[in-house]
Amino acid sequence: MSLFVQSLVLGILLGGLYALLAAGLTLYFGVMRVVMIAHSAFLILAAYLAWWFTDQTGLDPLLSLLVTVPLFFGMGVFMQRALISRLRPATLTMMSVLLTFSIALVIEGTLGFVFSGTQRRIRLDYGGANFEIAGANVAVVKLIAFGLAVVSLAALFLLMKKTQFGQALRATIQHPEAARLIGINTERVAGYGFGLGLATAAIGGTALALDSTFYPSLHWHWIGPLMAIIVVGGLGSIPGAAIAAMVLGMGQALLQIPLGTTWAQTFFYIALFATLMVRPQGFFGGRLAQRF
Amino acid sequence: MKVKTPYRTAGLAIASCLALTACMSSGADSDSGEDGTGPIKIGISLPLTGDFSEPGKGVQRGYEAWADYVNENGGLLGRDVELTILDDQSNADRVAADYEKLINSDGVDLVFGPFSTRLVVPAAQVAQDYGFLFVEPAGAAEEVFTQGFDNLFYAAPAIADDHYNYLADAIEAMPEDQRPKTAAYAAMDDPFAMGTAYGLKTRLEEMGVETVVDEVYPPNTTDFGSIAAKIADSDADVVVGGTQYQDAVNMIVALQQLGYQPTMAAFSTAPTNPEFPEAIGEETEGILSPTGYTPEADFPTNKEFVDFYTEQNGTPPAEDEANAWTTGQVVAAAVEAVGCADPDPECQAQLIDWLRENEVDTVVGPLTWDAEGRPQGAHLIQQYVDGEIRIVLPEEAKEADLIVEKPEW
Repeated sequence: MSLFVQSLVLGILLGGLYALLAAGLTLYFGVMRVVMIAHSAFLILAAYLAWWFTDQTGLDPLLSLLVTVPLFFGMGVFMQRALISRLRPATLTMMSVLLTFSIALVIEGTLGFVFSGTQRRIRLDYGGANFEIAGANVAVVKLIAFGLAVVSLAALFLLMKKTQFGQALRATIQHPEAARLIGINTERVAGYGFGLGLATAAIGGTALALDSTFYPSLHWHWIGPLMAIIVVGGLGSIPGAAIAAMVLGMGQALLQIPLGTTWAQTFFYIALFATLMVRPQGFFGGRLAQRF
Repeated sequence: MKVKTPYRTAGLAIASCLALTACMSSGADSDSGEDGTGPIKIGISLPLTGDFSEPGKGVQRGYEAWADYVNENGGLLGRDVELTILDDQSNADRVAADYEKLINSDGVDLVFGPFSTRLVVPAAQVAQDYGFLFVEPAGAAEEVFTQGFDNLFYAAPAIADDHYNYLADAIEAMPEDQRPKTAAYAAMDDPFAMGTAYGLKTRLEEMGVETVVDEVYPPNTTDFGSIAAKIADSDADVVVGGTQYQDAVNMIVALQQLGYQPTMAAFSTAPTNPEFPEAIGEETEGILSPTGYTPEADFPTNKEFVDFYTEQNGTPPAEDEANAWTTGQVVAAAVEAVGCADPDPECQAQLIDWLRENEVDTVVGPLTWDAEGRPQGAHLIQQYVDGEIRIVLPEEAKEADLIVEKPEW
């Protein structure tokens, strides 16, 4: 019983982290039909920047967010304007896979060159700290990562729903031509949308770095599960990604008990295949996704 | 259009996932020497890029240091040695092609083995086909020695299954009521990592230590919370990790986060890595690990090796470098004894036969092999004592006393 409760708690925390890591991916796709393979490479880049920041200053890695979030936002806008927007609309989705694949390789190579292939970890005084709730241990770092996920996803959701920029972004997602007709600068909005996605990568990468080791090629381990999450959730839907992440994260943690790690991980891909067979647009995708 | 796009794009997303699992590639370089009577040419393929690039580069440093040392000290049979090192990108298909090329078109006189069981087996097959002696620095898993190779020798003290032998002996020597009662095992799905954990598991089970958790996880596992939860829930006396680096670190932290306190904790590979205490912090006390090499060992040639290597590289050698150097020592001993070093099958057969019957003094101690190439030694057991990793077993080599009851982490 206590193992079940413990796994449930771990699953919820894991699901929150997955949701944060996958949010950017679904945003790029929603705004621009861009399949962004380099998203997880940016996560690892953010992890390295957080580690480097702590290594150099001795300050808490969370403070690095003050620099990395605006930096990643800027990089996202630049990437969209300088590279993505030059792709032909007819082949955008396909070509974006190739383009962002190469960006991922560039990031991996650069990280390896600058920081070497050695595995890194941020050592925190509270790295092993935990407290008990209802018979389950909750690790402080996992809770912080979960908190970061909740805050950023809520902020993203409010931004999309309540601000004029969010409205413009949603209009661009729903019908770019119509949005242009009513005077929305869709190019600029798309750039900001991409920047927002990358800003979530800065937060996600930092959250990841709080609790695990990382090395330059680690992003290849992450992109598969993250893609599975956004396909199951419905491409372009942020709530969909969050719900799918939570379901898959909890499923993984709970299936672990009877089935072991290998099968628990396979659950992601089984869910992916099942989704594509039963509901290819994802469980929250299709028209719903277009409206958020 | 609105309805169809998700289908197409979802398909694309899948395609991209698949493309990613198909892995990435990068450039390879190669160079070849000319055949002649001048230097002795030694062909090697190593994983200089890809999954095993870190240890692969360690082995490369060890080989190069050995070659420099030999050349500065009069060479082999009075001839210089010249290494030809190819990059197999951690790819089993490439490693076989590399050795084909080295033997066939580059006309090397001798070959040295690559890094990792997964690359050693295909490489050894090629060497066997051409009748070449094959001494390798990194193929500790049992399956290397069950393929029927009669040309292969592993240049290290012990195979993976025997890594924990001294620890098992020490537990067996305890009074029965003080021995641990239960044990939890978690191992990466990798022949080497699993070999180390299951070698100890077999011994402990024979002593009546009950197995309460037995988990195997894929090498790409990123989350260790669930595995740790199972181990913590079992409250096993001993936790044994068949691990590489990052999984050991992540698992130990996950176990700490769950408040689990074993009386004994043993993890392969990671604790002997200099990065380990940096990653774990002060909670390393009492963690055990087997190791095949320590720069402090007082085997006859070890001091020369450590001094030479340290002067050349600025840091003392680690296990990968030592195993590479050992490979060089083993082959050199055979070459000097037999008096030949050429690709001729007769010379290679003589080298192989000589190694079957003789003991070689190396930086990891004197080595002898059984008919399948298994070294007949054992690994040292190290433990974190007062924040430093020290040898605690066996008795005759120890630098500190074994901490039987691990302090809390």
